[in-house]
Amino acid sequence: MATTGLKQLSNALATLDQISNSSSSIDGVPSDLEMSIRCAGAQLTQAAGVLLGLSQDIIAQAIVIFTRFWLGADGGSLRIYSAKDVSAASLYLTAKLSFLPTSPRSVLNVYTLLLSQDASPLWFVNPRGAPVQPPAPETYVLSEGGYQAARLTLLRIESIILRALGFDTHVALPHAIALTYLQTLGATKPGVARRVVEHLNAALLSPQLLYVTHQPNALAVAAIYLAAREEGVKLVDANWWEVFDVDREELGFLVVAMRSLEGFVRKETEQWKGKKIPLVVDDLESEIERRRMMDEGE
Amino acid sequence: MSASKSRWADEDPETEAIIAQKKREKEEKRRAKAEKQRQLEEASKARTATQTDGSAQSLNGDSGPPTKRRRLSNDATPADAEVPEGEEQAQKKQASLLRFPVREWGTCRHVDNFERLNHIEEGSYGWVSRAKDINTGEVVALKKLKIQSSPDGFPVTGLREIQTLLEARHQNVVFLREVVMGNQMDDVYLVMDFLEHDLKTLLDEMREPFLPSEIKTLLLQVVGGLEFLHDQWIMHRDLKTSNLLMNNRGEIKIADFGMARYYGDPPPKLTQLVVTLWYRSPELLLGADKYGTEVDMWSIGCIFGELLTKEPLLQGKNEVDQVSKIFELTGPPNSQIWPGFRSLPNAKSLRLPQSSSTSKNPPLLPRSRFPYLTNAGLNLLSELLALNPASRPTARQCLAHPYFREDPRPKPKEMFPTFPSKAGMEKRRRHHTPEAPKHGQAAPQLDFAGVFGGATGGDTGEAGAGFTLRLG
Repeated sequence: MATTGLKQLSNALATLDQISNSSSSIDGVPSDLEMSIRCAGAQLTQAAGVLLGLSQDIIAQAIVIFTRFWLGADGGSLRIYSAKDVSAASLYLTAKLSFLPTSPRSVLNVYTLLLSQDASPLWFVNPRGAPVQPPAPETYVLSEGGYQAARLTLLRIESIILRALGFDTHVALPHAIALTYLQTLGATKPGVARRVVEHLNAALLSPQLLYVTHQPNALAVAAIYLAAREEGVKLVDANWWEVFDVDREELGFLVVAMRSLEGFVRKETEQWKGKKIPLVVDDLESEIERRRMMDEGE
Repeated sequence: MSASKSRWADEDPETEAIIAQKKREKEEKRRAKAEKQRQLEEASKARTATQTDGSAQSLNGDSGPPTKRRRLSNDATPADAEVPEGEEQAQKKQASLLRFPVREWGTCRHVDNFERLNHIEEGSYGWVSRAKDINTGEVVALKKLKIQSSPDGFPVTGLREIQTLLEARHQNVVFLREVVMGNQMDDVYLVMDFLEHDLKTLLDEMREPFLPSEIKTLLLQVVGGLEFLHDQWIMHRDLKTSNLLMNNRGEIKIADFGMARYYGDPPPKLTQLVVTLWYRSPELLLGADKYGTEVDMWSIGCIFGELLTKEPLLQGKNEVDQVSKIFELTGPPNSQIWPGFRSLPNAKSLRLPQSSSTSKNPPLLPRSRFPYLTNAGLNLLSELLALNPASRPTARQCLAHPYFREDPRPKPKEMFPTFPSKAGMEKRRRHHTPEAPKHGQAAPQLDFAGVFGGATGGDTGEAGAGFTLRLG
């Protein structure tokens, strides 16, 4: 009986096999490229969610669904499914199940803007950055014909995601748990809470895939630990994380992973400076081809 | 990372691992034993006791022993009692950490893993057939989701059904084993435990209604399952006797989550087009778009009444007739017993006779309708069928009602009579209950002027008298 209610607070986690054998790696996508695309896809989902006015819990759940989809040999391969399509379908699917559903048209309009090479504010889509003067509308507005085609793709990918996940769409998030823990710990400084949420949202982009390898309570505890240290807030002396069912080993790993995130993203921006991260199958193929040529040239 | 010394630095990780391993083995053994026990009870000759259902599937993660266990440094088991005195000290030093149930996800299997045996029923949300798992030989119920080509993609009702069923692991909720797919993307099947009967068909076939002790057992199980659902923030929204399944061991399970959904606080905007007409609460009929778990409690009241009399309690022919049937039973509402009902969208057209009652409590239902029910029973039924949703008991309050503690006591499940299965045979279940409303329909604006007007809706039987349907 004690564990029956825990489903609300816990997640299905990736198996070792799912982590080590992704469908994309089997298809020959270099793992650093896969990591870059996954991270960019998560950022794309976040940006689209903000533009759609969705709440952060829906966006975070969508990113977790997006992340899960690529894992395991039975998961999706980047050489078959475009990251941008999976991002859009994850967001659409998650919103549909939430209290704030959104329409296919809104989703597709937003993605058209965000993927426009002239108008997008995203650095990995439009390396020149958001234009000061709005460019010609054709470059970022979805045509009616384009909408019909894109809608079919959106709904098809939605079904493919559902099949890959065995229809298990449940995602428990650490954000609310973290706030409860903060109250329990008596850490009421607003700066700490803000930093906790920042860490938790940043962890969605983690190359260690923290959200699919650790339970939300552990993520919450790690974010609190880190935030309290950064803000110089003293928490209780004892091993307080054990109260929240996290052992020191796991906490240590998560804290290191969360702290490394800033460096990872900085490295990504450096590495892809002036270039686009391939979010479409065709672009990925050219990138793989380019790398092959480079290798041969050397 | 931290200034303080690592807690595990002075400990030997190997000893720890051995202890953890031993505990795991113990746990496995206990599980296997419990599983064996259960399977013996089922008396299924076809398979050996140690075989467990296809636990390779992620959805079945909780059913059998987990296929894989994550290593945790602090392996928490509640087996403190078994720890010898010397070790107890060591045990105390380590905090006992809660382990979350190990769950995984995996891609859907193909429906060809099941051999279809016979049709059971065709409901508003899909076709149900009896099927056999080719790998394990187990008989399951296979429900094909109806997926009309919808402009919004995979229907949200189907998604909610799966999501809520996956969440609702309880002995009185039908067990969803997994979701399988056919060749097409819209071929989606739910694989569920097979149960021999549904309560509606049973009631139809029985000569005599259930005994009072049996009714209590049935009701306790249904409300127990519902309490769990409500605790998980799930509203069922289509409780009726044909959605309550029963096996030959007297166990009853809530099924058909096609209308179920999560609710929240504050409640999200909800459709009023839920619950099969005969089991639909007055606030829904009067067009409330803010409602809660009370709608399920009303349905429980209707089911209670149906168990007592073997007949559906309120068989309205349409919405207007349903409202007049309700008021006929409970008496008309007034602002004492149901403050604020006047502001509900469809209540404006309601013309009610003057009511003399000044009591705030819902009135007792007429004793003549339920001659064999005890006072406590009538009390509970009247509370469940209170017009004012706020007056209805919650599932938890309902379970604590004196009715269940007075004689005759609830009959033990094992003592239940068995019945020949309808679902197991070639025969299809036929229901005369109206169907649940379809998702996506516009909520009709109802004109209840006729409820207590010149022509009562019930006499005409047609949608004509006093009933206008204005769409949009």
